[in-house]
Amino acid sequence: MTMLEPGKWYAIAADHDLPHNHIYRTALGGHELAVWRSSDGGVHVWQNRCPHRGVRFSLGEVVADELRCQYHAWRFATSGACTFIPAQPDMKVPGTIRAVVWPVALSGGMVWTGIDPAGSPPALPTGAIVRAIPVSQPASVIAQALADTPLAGLTLIVQPQDQESAIVRGIAGDGDLARADRMLTALRRRIEQTA
Amino acid sequence: MILYDAHHLAPCYAVRLLLGYLGLTAEIRPVDVYPGRQNRSEDFLAINPLGTLPVLIDGAHVITDWQEILAHIALTYGRAWYPAHDSALIGWLGLARDLDASAGLARMSDTFGAAGDAVAARTRGNALFDEVERRVWFAERAGQDWLTGGAHPTIADIACFVCIAPCEDGGLSLRDRPALRRWCDRMRFHPGFVAMSGIFPPMANTAR
Repeated sequence: MTMLEPGKWYAIAADHDLPHNHIYRTALGGHELAVWRSSDGGVHVWQNRCPHRGVRFSLGEVVADELRCQYHAWRFATSGACTFIPAQPDMKVPGTIRAVVWPVALSGGMVWTGIDPAGSPPALPTGAIVRAIPVSQPASVIAQALADTPLAGLTLIVQPQDQESAIVRGIAGDGDLARADRMLTALRRRIEQTA
Repeated sequence: MILYDAHHLAPCYAVRLLLGYLGLTAEIRPVDVYPGRQNRSEDFLAINPLGTLPVLIDGAHVITDWQEILAHIALTYGRAWYPAHDSALIGWLGLARDLDASAGLARMSDTFGAAGDAVAARTRGNALFDEVERRVWFAERAGQDWLTGGAHPTIADIACFVCIAPCEDGGLSLRDRPALRRWCDRMRFHPGFVAMSGIFPPMANTAR
């Protein structure tokens, strides 16, 4: 079950959301995602669910170039393949034990993913990445509000989280992050109050 | 030092956490608040007539307010953790009391059936979390890791952390508050961190 458009790239994080040794957590189209950066700078977007017992990967930890689940410390390589099961240290881990790995692209200071995304993510104008603002309304309502009343100087994209909520991301062309933040939090209040 | 402690209470955790960061130890005397209500016993009320926890006894000092305990320990044993030059300290400590009365109340209501309006508490907690998220995000842009600036956390960070980190127990979420999640990680990875139920210690350095 998904509410995503196949072939489309969705921005789900900014580059600054992914320091080393951290697992970023978000949702896209009803899917919970865990996003992390390995030591080579590569970014990995996974379903936020350990294949063993279903615990969120975002509760776990990045250890060098592997992600370790908090529950039983199973380790997973950047490919998604499980590499080590502490309770059975001498066992060769079956290749079928894998995290669900999503496509990933880094572009315009953002992390993008999607379902069978085609080509490259859309180009963004130069500027500063604004603070992402979650809004408790469907993406379609937010997109309509932005179409009705564009916010001057901001290029905005909407990340659908689930049927009831979305995250507004974007670029401030003039680099004024404080101004952009005031505009976006006002937008959030307006949409959440009037809907 | 003697610390009368209830493991699951955020204000008690704040004291244990500060002791951990400063490398101090105290004699921990557990008090069974839920379900034992030992904090309402005559023995405990003789120590603290308000019946609240934590209580710290340090020599002649008997301190019954959690933030006063943090201040006392910092001023006595780790002065840099009490940034007296920074008026924002007062704001953060006040905000932490609001967090405890909102997100903290929701947690105590959901997990231990504490009296109070959990729905209103969550609404207030969400508004406060949004504001702390905004401040931490902009602090990160300015290169600051901690609530009051400086090279390490202070009692401002500790007081807010213990109300924010266990918030999912009370039906709040950090999922869409990425700056708070990063700040919580920085607290967890800071040397001397101690865990509590639901707040995991770093495991990166444990042997494979």
